[in-house]
Order: sequence, then structure tokens, then C-alpha cells
Amino acid sequence: MSELSTNYFVCVAEIAAKLDQATRIAQQLSLTASNARAVALRAGERAAGFRPLTDFIDRLAEITIKSSRSINLLAATLSQTSADKVRADSAIEHFNIVFIKAKDSPFIDSLDEVYQRCQTKQRQLDKSYKRQIDRLSDELIMLSNELRNAVILATLSRVEASQAGIEYQEALINVANNVEGAASKIKEHINYSQQMVSTLEEY
Amino acid sequence: MKTHKLFESKSHTWLMFGRDDDKPNEIIDTNQYIVITHKNALLMDPGGIELFSSMLAAVIKQLPADKITHLFASHQDPDIISSLGLWDQALPSATLHSPWIWESFIKHFGMNNISYSAIPDEGSALKIDQVNLEFIPAHYLHSSGNFNVYDAEAKILMSGDIGAALESVEAPLFVENFDEHISKMKMFHQRWMPSNEAKNDWVSRVRKLDIDMMCPQHGRIFKGDDVKRFLDWFEALEVGVIRKPSAE
Ligand SMILES: [Fe+2]
Ligand SMILES: [Fe+2]
Repeated sequence: MSELSTNYFVCVAEIAAKLDQATRIAQQLSLTASNARAVALRAGERAAGFRPLTDFIDRLAEITIKSSRSINLLAATLSQTSADKVRADSAIEHFNIVFIKAKDSPFIDSLDEVYQRCQTKQRQLDKSYKRQIDRLSDELIMLSNELRNAVILATLSRVEASQAGIEYQEALINVANNVEGAASKIKEHINYSQQMVSTLEEY
Repeated sequence: MKTHKLFESKSHTWLMFGRDDDKPNEIIDTNQYIVITHKNALLMDPGGIELFSSMLAAVIKQLPADKITHLFASHQDPDIISSLGLWDQALPSATLHSPWIWESFIKHFGMNNISYSAIPDEGSALKIDQVNLEFIPAHYLHSSGNFNVYDAEAKILMSGDIGAALESVEAPLFVENFDEHISKMKMFHQRWMPSNEAKNDWVSRVRKLDIDMMCPQHGRIFKGDDVKRFLDWFEALEVGVIRKPSAE
């Protein structure tokens, strides 16, 4: 029992940690967006096509930060549910031993009520555990889909950059690379978290 | 887990549980006590989490679980009360009597159902059905908030860690030769108990009580003259010292 429970606490904690890292990268991404805006402003008309892109980068950063925050919250709730579940499971296990050790006792029935209450609690916890995992999984899929747009965004940025004239080109391509790099790092964390979630689903 | 009847009258019974054969070797052996009255029961120093199943199994052979309406924890140690999270599931409407200073600490063991009745520093009385029990202050022996339970009718003092001896699960229940027993108690009292002043204060308080049996949480029970022998020995003992066994 202890190995299993250590695992799920560690899993949940790791998911929270990964999403924390994702948040930090997303914050850098929003910095990139304001840099891009400054460059596009200086480039004037020639970078006109770039401006809607900076808004898009902003949105992506915002969504990632928001979604990370709610996933983090979910992970905390999940961790609490796991702790309650371990406690309920452990109570049931202990009672099972008592039922064996004291099977001949005339008072053994006096445990039935608390045993049933523990079992009900255990079932409730199982249900909310599954529900929380599902929500976590959904959130991760949503975030992952959102990140897919980042690749398109980076490609578009590069095209726009090439039209912005030689002196701004490098800065704008840099922006495109930043977006791509950030997105792929966040994606890595999400993938890892999704693996953790599928481990959790097995419990 | 063995069960031994210490006292029986019309109004109540004292039982001792201990010498648990199923206990893992690396944890200290403990004695648990229960006072059973007509409709209720008080379980004292119910023990560690590792012991819970054996304890509940032993208890349930004697009385229905829901008759245990009161729990007592002399102090906050894990060997005393780390099983609380499980008792909390088994006895959701019970009351735990314990020193006020440990309330927010003991709750770390998990207490969502049981209610906490904080014992003030000066001690208090507890009446269960027709039985009068007293929580006698025993602070700093060894815990800084610590109580004994005294039953004037049964003349029993449940003394917690005071009088404790470190020995095996095969040890007899009662002290047979006090002088021989000293070697099993000396280090425990010197090393775990920090204050001579608190110790002497306790000795003078307990000398005024009429005691037939002094029942510690570890080791053997003191009967008759051995109670007085213990008080004399303990009074003369210097506590709060670290001494290597080889230096004796
Ligand atoms: Fe202790
Ligand atoms: Fe102890």
C-alpha cells in the first residue's frame, strides 16, 4: 500500500511542479510579445502584418498561465483527495484485520456501522478522485491544443519577418524562434504531465 | 495482545492490554488500560498506529466498540496516540481528554470526528456513570504537558511514562523484585525526564494518594509496597542527565 500511495502523491506533486515550470515559460512568452510589439512599432508600415501576431502571442501566454494555474489548483485538490483516500483505505485495511483477529468476539457486530461508513466514504473518495483526474486530463488536452497554434504562429511570424525589411528581420525572426522554443518547452512539460495522469488513472 | 483484569467492582472494571506478540520488533512495547463502567468506557493511552488493529481486536473481545465514549492521551507522543486517526474512524462520537498544550499538535494525527476535551494544567475530574476519575498533573515527566489518571475507589494510578521500564514482550506483568527492576528503569527516567523540581513536586502530590497499583505505559505494574518503593527511589534519583551505560 505504501509504495502505491507514495507514487500517487509523487505523481500529483510532479504534475504541479511541471505546470509551475510551464507558467514560468509562459511568463517569458508574454515578455516576448511586448518585445515583438516594440520592434513592430519601430518597423512601422513594413511590419504591419506582424502586429496581429503579437496580440496572438499575448493571448497564448495568457491562456497558458491561466490554464497552468487551474491545473495547479486541481493538482492540489487531487493531492488532498489522495491523502483522504489513503486514510480511508488504511482504516478499511485495519478493520479487516480486526474482523479476522476478533471474529469470535460477541461484540464484533458493533463495528459494522463504522465499517460501512468507511466503505461509503471510500467509494465517494474513489468517485471524486476519478472525476478530478478526468478534469485534469481535459485541462491538459486543452492546453496542448492551444500550444499547437504556436507552431503555426511561429511560421507566420517568419513569413512576416521576411517582409519587414533587412534591419528588423533579425529581431522579428528572433521573436518567432522564441515563441517556438517556449511552446515546445511547455509542450514537453504537458506531455510529461499527461504521462503522469495516465499513471494516476491506473490507481 | 494479552488482556489482564486489574480490578473489578460493582461500578467498574480496569483492564490492561499489552505484551503484543504481533508487534514489530523495532517499536517499543506499550501497555494500554481501559476503565469500563455500566454504559461507557475510557481507553487510556491507546497506543501507536502500528498497534491499532491488535488493540481494537483485543478491546472488541471485551466490549462493543461504541461503548468506548472516552479516550485519554497522557501526552502527545506517537507511542501514546499516533493511532488517533484510526480511532477517529472507529469511534466517531468519542471524546479525547488530553493536555491543553497539545491540542493543536495531537490533531496532526488526524481528528475529524472525535472531540477534544482540553485538560487544564492543574488537572480535572471526570465522572463516567458512577465512577470518579481524576487527571493528576505530571508535567515534565517526561512531556511538558502530561497527566496521570487516578481512581480513588480502585486505588489505581495510571502513571503513563512514569515507572516505565524497557523490556521484552515476555516480561511478567508485575514487578516481582523491585531492586532488580531498577536497572530496567534507571536510564529511562534519567534520560527522558528533564526536571528534578517537577519530579519532586509530582512525588509529593502522589504520596498523598492511596495507591494499590501504579500502572505505567511501558514495563511492569507496581503493587502494594512497591509503589512506595518506587516513590522513594524516584525521589532520590537525579534526572535530566545523559550518562553512558558504561559509566555506571
Ligand atoms: Fe512519552
Ligand atoms: Fe511512552
